[in-house]
Order: sequence, then C-alpha cells, then structure tokens
Amino acid sequence: MAFLEIDNMSLEFGGVKACQNVTMKLEPGILYGLIGPNGAGKSTIFNVLTGIYPPTHGDVKLSGESLVGKKPFEIAQKGIGRTFQNIRLFKELTVLENVMSAFYSSSHTSIVDMVFETKKFHAEEEEVRIKSMELLKVMGIEDLALVPAGGLPYGKQRKLEIARALGLNPKLLLLDEPAAGLNPTETRELTDLIRKIQKERNITVLLIEHDMGLVMKICEKIYVLVQGQLVCEGTADIVQNDKRVIEAYLGVDE
Amino acid sequence: MKMNKTLLIILAFFVAALALNFVMGGFAFDMSLLMYAKPTRWQALISPYYYAVLVILGINIVLSVSLALLNGFTGLFTMGHAGFMAIGAYTSASIVMFLLPTAPFFVQMLVGSLAAGTIAALIGFLIGVSSLRLNGDYLGMVTLGFSEIIRIVLLNIDAVGGARGMTDIPQYTNLGSVMLLAVIVVIVIKRIRDGRLGRAMLAIKENEMAANMMGINPLSIKVKAFVISSFIAGVAGSFFAHSEGYLSTQTFTFVKSFEVIAMNVIGGLGSLSGAILGAGILTVLPEALRKVQDITGIDLRMIIYALTMILIMILRPQGLMGNREWKWLSSK
Repeated sequence: MAFLEIDNMSLEFGGVKACQNVTMKLEPGILYGLIGPNGAGKSTIFNVLTGIYPPTHGDVKLSGESLVGKKPFEIAQKGIGRTFQNIRLFKELTVLENVMSAFYSSSHTSIVDMVFETKKFHAEEEEVRIKSMELLKVMGIEDLALVPAGGLPYGKQRKLEIARALGLNPKLLLLDEPAAGLNPTETRELTDLIRKIQKERNITVLLIEHDMGLVMKICEKIYVLVQGQLVCEGTADIVQNDKRVIEAYLGVDE
Repeated sequence: MKMNKTLLIILAFFVAALALNFVMGGFAFDMSLLMYAKPTRWQALISPYYYAVLVILGINIVLSVSLALLNGFTGLFTMGHAGFMAIGAYTSASIVMFLLPTAPFFVQMLVGSLAAGTIAALIGFLIGVSSLRLNGDYLGMVTLGFSEIIRIVLLNIDAVGGARGMTDIPQYTNLGSVMLLAVIVVIVIKRIRDGRLGRAMLAIKENEMAANMMGINPLSIKVKAFVISSFIAGVAGSFFAHSEGYLSTQTFTFVKSFEVIAMNVIGGLGSLSGAILGAGILTVLPEALRKVQDITGIDLRMIIYALTMILIMILRPQGLMGNREWKWLSSK
C-alpha cells in the first residue's frame, strides 16, 4: 500500500471543477514534483491534502487512514507539514518563536507548569528551543533567530517557512512554490537544501514549482496537472517528452 | 533570582503608588500598611479619595491585563468584559452575604473571589464555545450582546437587589490585596504568554490558517484564552464588589467594557506593559484633572480628557507602547 493515496479525488466549487478524478500514489522517502500551468489546481490538491477543502468525491488516505473529514490541525498532527505559495509566517513573532510554535502539539506543559515555571516547563522549553535552533541551522538562518519574522528578506522567509514546517516532524512535506521570487543563486541553494533535508530525514516531499530546472533536477517522479486533471506522471525524461505536457505548456502546432 | 524579580515588581508597584500619592497631595505612605487588613487603618493615613482611586487603579490593571490576553495576544475582539466582571462581583457578594456572613474576612475573601472567578470562567466557557466560531467584528457584537444579557438578567433578580442594587456588602478589599492581585495577575499572564500556550495564541492572531497547519487547534486555544480571561475578570469583579460595598448593574454597562478596551488600545494592543500603562492613564487622568478644574474654575476636565485621548490616537495609533514591553515584562 502506498504511503499517501489520493484515490479518484474530485473537487468542485459549484460548476467549477478544480480537480477531476485525481489519483496519486506516493511512496515513502521519495521526492515528487507536481507541475502544471497556472490555475491547473496544484495548490488546490495541497489544500485538499491538508484538510482546508473536503474533496467532493473520492478519498485521501495517509498510511491507509482516510483524511477526509479531519480538521486541518488534526491532519497536521498526523505528520503533514506544508509551506504556502504566498508566505504565511507569524510576522510579529521572532524567527525562533515561529519554529517553536510548530512544536505546540508535540509538547505537553500545562498552564499550571507555565504559571509556576516548573522544572518540566524549563526542560521542555529548552528542548524545543534546541530542536528549533537545529532546524534554523539546517536552513542556514540561525543567526537571525531573534529577529521578527516579518523583517526577514524574502528568500529567508521562504527558508523559515520550511524550517517551521519541519518543526512538526512531518512524514510528508508539501512545498508550494518554494523557489518563487528567488534569484538563481538562492534557487540553487534551496534546491540543494531540499534534497539534503529529504534524504537526511527520509521524508516524502511533494513539491509544486514553476522553475522547471529545479523540478527536473531533483524530483524523482513528476505529476503533471492540466485543468484539474492528471495528464502524465513519471520521471523527468518521460514528462519532458510527453505530447500532452508539451501541448499544455506550449500549445498545439496547427 | 526568580524571587528577586517578583519582589522587585511588588516594590515597583509600591513606588508607583507612593509617587502617585505624593503627586496627588495625599499623606505619607507607609509600607508597613500592607500588614493591616482593615481598610480603616489605611484610610487613616491616606485620604479616602486617593485610597479609592488607587484601589480602582489596581482593579483596572487586572481587567485591562486580562483583556490583553484576549484582544492583544489571541486577537479576539471582544466587547463583553464588563459582563464577566458583573458575574464575578454579584457571585462574590451573594456568597459572602448569604452563605458566609459571619466567616473571618480572609475566608470570605478567598471563597468569594475564587467562586467569582470560577462562575465567570464557566459562563465564559459557555459563551466562548458558542460564539468563537465567529471572527472579528461579529465576535465583538456577540460578546457585547451576551454582556448586556448578563446585566439585564442580574437587574431582574430581586435577591441581589434588582434595580435598587446590592448594599451593605462587606468591605474587605484593601489597597494591599488589590495591588498584590494585580502583581499576581500580571505575572501569570506574562508567563502564559511566554509559554507554549502564549506562542499558540500569538500564532493564531498572526495567521490562523498557518497556525492550523502547525497542528494548533485554534478553537481550543481561543476557548482557553476566553476562560482564563473571564476567570480573571470575575476575580476583579469580586474585589470591586467588596471595595465599595455597593453594587449596581449600572456599573457594568458596555461603557465599562469600552473603557477596558480603550485601556488596551491607548497602551498598545499586544503589549502587556501597554495594558498596564493604559489602565494607569485612564484611571488617573480623569481624577488628576479635577485639580485643573479647581485652578481654572470652569469644568475643562472632560474636554482635556477627551482631547488627550484623541491626540494619543492621532499621534500614536499603535498605542503608547506599540509592540514593545518594559524590560521586566519582555519575554527575553
């Protein structure tokens, strides 16, 4: 059985069919790419996976357990972390606090512990702080730990979002256009980082990206979505030579 | 180290109280007064007027700080704080007068304020669960409505005096206990803010969707904030009931709720220090301006008061403290 199964999933908003009969099977520990023209429904698939929209038809299963009807925070607790296309950081919180907030559901100090600042409170805070700092180090932004997140340059905000999502200790990481708005150097750096994180932590990554260089370089398997329908799946070679993919991106030769 | 900090805070409050007393022309303020329970002893040294202002100041700090947890940290715009204060005040007064009329004052005080907080928290929980699915202004309207319902219900219960109000409530609240309560509440709220619960609250305020994606259950955190805040407002109500010895539902109209919101806004939404500062300004300023009236001979008090508020809103729309905190209240 696949690790994450999207089974014949459709999502409709009134008459608009955002996703139609999408079927995907993700195996653990592999880096997947999800590409497609603007408005193809890529982010919508992320929103279905994370419980923001319930699918109209079909099912989504994580390790055999259906995610349909679960609340977004419950799905997050089950180990699906994500970043957003339009960055959604906690801007007034510091960089470190942003990452620490992702440890909320995995820590246990009660209000009483907080009010009396018990040993348990200090121990857990320290543990979360150390883990968060490690994640910041992985992303190379540990020297900015005490800066408000809203004050970071754009590229670093993208990195912080990934660090925060990793704080959940996810089994599946959904990255929504992580390289959008980055310059070529930053993109290259991020590409290496994503691959490194994925290999070291052995997590499944599903990546939406318009930077084809990045996608073709690191994705082991690529899904192509066009107007809400999957038209092609396979390695970079297969996808690049698929007629329907070329059609969708470049149009038809009359 | 921790003990020192707490002591320092208490000391700071007394220095502030002393300075205030001096500025307002009261009598010398003796630290040893903390030891006395009976308000009469205090009042022998400070004139009753300044004494009453300081007590109200303490209660307002407690109210303002508890609202900061909702408004400032969790981002919930509620307009019903006076309702929870009313529940606390009437609960405490009823329990002390009907159930514990002869008990020693500290028993009355402890049972009264704890019961006040508990009942207020319980009702806060019920209101919270039923209204927290709303956001923004809608939540404000609903909480305003609930607060008025509470007030009207209390107004129509004859056992607590109805429209006549409740009289002869034992007056055991004194300056020491109010200031101590204020210090405790400030420390408790600060520690909640700095713990994982506070981080979750701030996360929800900043971006509810992202908080959701981080495994934080927004509704549960909001309800927690609501319950804690209404508990504290209830305790503040209890102290208020036993300071003046008289309760009327007229005290707990939405004007009171707005006053507490104004304290938060003037001081700076999202800043604990701001909530304290705002409470200080909104309590002391109208009283201090009475002196101005003596000098000028005409009543400029409310005009100056209103102008000050308007000027603060124009010149510092983010509030006097903005997002900053005094050093002893900052999270680092």
